[in-house]
Amino acid sequence: MRKSVVLTLTLALLLGLSASGAAAQEKPRYGGVLNWYVYADPGRLDIHAESPLSVQQALAGVYSSLLHYDPDDPTKITGDLAERWTVSPDGKAYTFHLRKGVKWHDGQPFSAADVKATFDRVLNPNFQSPRCGSMLKPLVASVEMLDPHTVQFQLKFPAAPFVSSVASAWCRVAAKHILEKYGDLTRPEAQIGTGPFKFKRYERDSVIEWEKNKDYFIPGLPYLDGVKQFVLKGVPTQVAAAKAGRIVLWDTWPPMKKTEADEVKRARGEEVEIYQSPLNTIMLVYMHTQKPPFNNPDLRKAVNLAIDRQELVAKTLEGAGVPCAMLDPKLVGDFALPLEEVNKLPGCRQPKDQDIAEAKRLVEKHYPNGVDVEAAVRSVGGYIDRAQLVLAQLRKIGIRGTLKTYESAAGFAVYGKGDFIFIAIQDRAMVTGDPSDVFGLIYTTGSGSNWGRWSDPKVDELADRGLKEQNREKRRQIYHELQRHLLTQDTTAVSVGWIEGWFFRDKRVRNYKVSPTIYDHNTFMKVWLAQ
Amino acid sequence: MANRAGLAIGMGRDARAEPARVASSARGVLHVLGRFAVRQPLGAIGGLIVLVLIVAAIFAPLLAPYGAKDATFAQYLPPSAEFPMGTDQIGRDILSRVVWGARLSLYVGLVSVAFGITLGALWGIITAYFGGLADSASQRVVDVLMALPPIVLALSLMAALGQSVNNVIMALAILLTPTAARTLRSVALSIKESPYVEAARAAGCSHWRIIFLHVLPNSFATYIVLFTVNISYAIVVEAALSFLGLGVPPDEPSWGGMLTAGTQAMETAPWMIWFPGLAISLTVFGLNLLGDAIRDVTDPRLRGGLG
Repeated sequence: MRKSVVLTLTLALLLGLSASGAAAQEKPRYGGVLNWYVYADPGRLDIHAESPLSVQQALAGVYSSLLHYDPDDPTKITGDLAERWTVSPDGKAYTFHLRKGVKWHDGQPFSAADVKATFDRVLNPNFQSPRCGSMLKPLVASVEMLDPHTVQFQLKFPAAPFVSSVASAWCRVAAKHILEKYGDLTRPEAQIGTGPFKFKRYERDSVIEWEKNKDYFIPGLPYLDGVKQFVLKGVPTQVAAAKAGRIVLWDTWPPMKKTEADEVKRARGEEVEIYQSPLNTIMLVYMHTQKPPFNNPDLRKAVNLAIDRQELVAKTLEGAGVPCAMLDPKLVGDFALPLEEVNKLPGCRQPKDQDIAEAKRLVEKHYPNGVDVEAAVRSVGGYIDRAQLVLAQLRKIGIRGTLKTYESAAGFAVYGKGDFIFIAIQDRAMVTGDPSDVFGLIYTTGSGSNWGRWSDPKVDELADRGLKEQNREKRRQIYHELQRHLLTQDTTAVSVGWIEGWFFRDKRVRNYKVSPTIYDHNTFMKVWLAQ
Repeated sequence: MANRAGLAIGMGRDARAEPARVASSARGVLHVLGRFAVRQPLGAIGGLIVLVLIVAAIFAPLLAPYGAKDATFAQYLPPSAEFPMGTDQIGRDILSRVVWGARLSLYVGLVSVAFGITLGALWGIITAYFGGLADSASQRVVDVLMALPPIVLALSLMAALGQSVNNVIMALAILLTPTAARTLRSVALSIKESPYVEAARAAGCSHWRIIFLHVLPNSFATYIVLFTVNISYAIVVEAALSFLGLGVPPDEPSWGGMLTAGTQAMETAPWMIWFPGLAISLTVFGLNLLGDAIRDVTDPRLRGGLG
């Protein structure tokens, strides 16, 4: 009996192995349109000037970058438009040798002039570029075209995150002639790239469609005839589409909660693969530091103390997240301050009684009868629920918030202009896997998502030192000091925690590999659909 | 208490006679209500439901076990002795939100109808009285407003005005005005031709005196019916706007907003839609029954008298 069980198990294992081996060697199938969704209408489509994931998702397969995360192994960075690159011995000059014979979707030839035009645009001090510009401006001194197929970046100092920044999907190369023709990349007709797909159709609030680029510079790719992204707003709609099989992939923001993933699993059974993963995304509560009442450091400190990160993660993400952390140890390892230390800091520690009493005292000191604030929130994903919980927490210390909801793109416009007092909740996804990201995107003076106009010389100084430091251990120490400082200061943005979630993939979707950031695996360059 | 009331009311008059008069008038009211209940039993049930709504709205701070925005409990708790209607997606007591929601619904319903119907009534009566070009022109404006589907008009107004309780009231008032203007105009047109208005005119009364002392009071029955019937309409539209995410801000305890939140967890926590849904249905049912009964009572063709 026992022997037969062992035999059966061995046979099953062998069969399983041969099946998985067959799957690995499966010949990719050409054709088919992949349907998935985007959580909001992207609105303005300028990939260099905007920062929402919806914009990135709408354009990911249309453009190419100098470097990119390898579609076969997204933990590695390889050449995309650059065939290869070299670094000078002092680590300050990067030379990129470009592919030849690449054509833009309108038939024009691609050259180093396009690369220079792109990065001159992004690095222009007068051009607001919240992602690519925010990352590269502190690092890059100049970009020179050495010949029609070679460009050289001169760095201000040897910078560790340069390669991952250039490889970011936000640093896509745009056509010089298109920039000259339209002035920017906002309009649908300006979406001329060199990517595996052409931008075919954009119907506001409805659908974004790509079609196969038959002249793509990698012969034989892409496999798909096209990609359709339906604009599905609201988690119930998204879950309903997933359950009905209208979308074949959910690897985007917002992630599903466990109960939603279970619903999809129940409806689709073995047709789908469900998995849990971090999103490299931090959840934040923003205060405008130049406007009352949060121009008062005491009020910011009170909010920092009162926000119950553990409750927010437990209730709104069903516990899938790392509360309070300024850096997620799962993503950046020991660059993150140990969670044991983080969870003992005021504002993060449990129980909250002592911190709430102190926060209340700080508010009463300036506003004995409490204070009313307008709390902005974008009505996408689970933001409305999270925002209501934040306001419920702040009501305990005398800050009475009234929610003002914005449609996705309108909200970003308001935040970018600083036209708010308080943002009840907002996620920010990182652009690279480097620990410097969160500081350079959110906390340094003038950074792309420092919407609350905060400026702290110590933060700027530490962030700058972190970028320049080549010694890993010293760099780790700098980032630890920076995290301690931010977690105990009256910052503009309270770190609620790093979010995780659940996703699904229809098993017919093949060769879809997840990258370290949420932005870098949506080109579908090598993805194919099985029968 | 009755004595003190009697003393206060009776100052300068025969104080001893007052308690008896108060008692007899109270008896009179009870008698009228009793006859109303006998003749309009459905109306009486409606009235009872509306009474419960009013009590809930007025005494919400006493009746609701917790604050409407307190999110201190576990999420998605099913109905139990501690939380008779369960808790919602962020851990708020649904019973408390339903009770506070009664206040919001009634406030929005009453204020928007008071503004909308009164404005419409004045518009209809004044233009009907003066007639001529102003009347024709204003009726075309009414035509335009009535040609727009109400929910589309309300959504557009909310999108333009932004989400707040006062903006919902304003949008609803704008929605209700044309109906009231059209209805009261037709009533005023017939009153305008009546002999007592002619007599007033012959006696040299001014136009405004005739409008405010003759036409307006005689349109009052229609006004009251419109008022009661439209409260339920306003409550439903507010719930619909909040359900669609364009009504009151999401953390306000609106029944419509609670329904929206409930749809996200329909399979796992259906009680999140049961109770606000029930509250909306019962309220509308009650107000409609009461409105119909009041219409029947005030309609001379159906009136059998209550005295």
